[in-house]
Amino acid sequence: MAAAEQQQQPPPSEGCKPLGALLNGIAQAAYYGKADITEELLRGQLYPEAAPEEFRALRAKMGGLLQSIASADMDLNQLEAFLTAQTKKQGGITSDQAAVIAKFWKNHRVKIHESLVNQSRWDNVLKNMNWRVDLKSQSRHIDQINTPVAIVEMELVKNGQESEFLCLEFDEAKVSQMLKKLSEIEESMTALTQTT
Amino acid sequence: AADKINIMPQDFFAELCEQIIQHLNHKIPGVNTVELCERLQTSGIEISIGDLAKITNVVSLLFSTAARNNLSTEDLVTALGSAVSTLPKHAVQVIRHVWNEQGKSVSVSEDVGNMATVGQFVDMKWKLGVAMSSDTCRSLKYPYVTVTLKVADPSGQITNKSFEMTIPQFKNFFRQFKEMAAVLETV
Repeated sequence: MAAAEQQQQPPPSEGCKPLGALLNGIAQAAYYGKADITEELLRGQLYPEAAPEEFRALRAKMGGLLQSIASADMDLNQLEAFLTAQTKKQGGITSDQAAVIAKFWKNHRVKIHESLVNQSRWDNVLKNMNWRVDLKSQSRHIDQINTPVAIVEMELVKNGQESEFLCLEFDEAKVSQMLKKLSEIEESMTALTQTT
Repeated sequence: AADKINIMPQDFFAELCEQIIQHLNHKIPGVNTVELCERLQTSGIEISIGDLAKITNVVSLLFSTAARNNLSTEDLVTALGSAVSTLPKHAVQVIRHVWNEQGKSVSVSEDVGNMATVGQFVDMKWKLGVAMSSDTCRSLKYPYVTVTLKVADPSGQITNKSFEMTIPQFKNFFRQFKEMAAVLETV
């Protein structure tokens, strides 16, 4: 399951070898939507020797740490400070465990953050867009014959619902109108990223 | 639908018919039923958007059928009278007036069926935001664009469709429209 199992260090202490895999299991359930990864499954696979309450405590502790790290979207500096503090705490973590957690976060940060972002998008999202250009061969107006039009199909999706397809026609003037608006957005965006 | 027309004040019904015939004459991209409905409701008229849509469709069909059959104003009123006896007098007056003024220029077309599934883009509004925090993540910090498209559906009614894009999605969207413009120019 986890990359942590292929570490090139001297054999890590007993609590660490499966820790990477545990973190992965926690992430799968919390951030990647794999609801079928239960506590029992993880215990059986990774810590078969551990008592259920012992494992539950471990899982809760690791889950809590991961949640704090993910919620703050910690960068490397923040992560180091956070984990160091955890090693100094009563009932905290060992430095080996800290190393495993750090490695896990480095590998999964972007994906987990993306998952959290998606969890907070509840309105229609543009999933896909296709278009083609047609030559209008029939029209209500004689002067519109043989004018090119773009037919655009947009796939809109709302969290957990079926896609809605929006099919629109744009003539050259409308495309220009759209481009003008899109340029305005781009300008605003540039201004925004320059100030943050 | 006829009994709903009953509750529409004459000036609102006249405005609706004006928009319908102007749409059929290609002077405007569509009928602003949402806005009309809001104004009706504000003045205390109890009418739903669905009812208004039905009325719009009925009147639109009436005018386009009349155009196809080259009906004179009197023919139209006669046909109307025999078909819908429950129409209020003021409604008939409005229809007669609107048809008289603009009925001749409604062009007859056979291709309406082909346009059935495609809407017309009318306008676009946008908003740029940054999502800061959520219940599952205190440090979201992602910028996104919300776009509202004003669309005239095939029956001529104007609706709004909104959706969100992340920055990469927006860039792709922009790029596609630039490509479209390039192709339209060369065709």
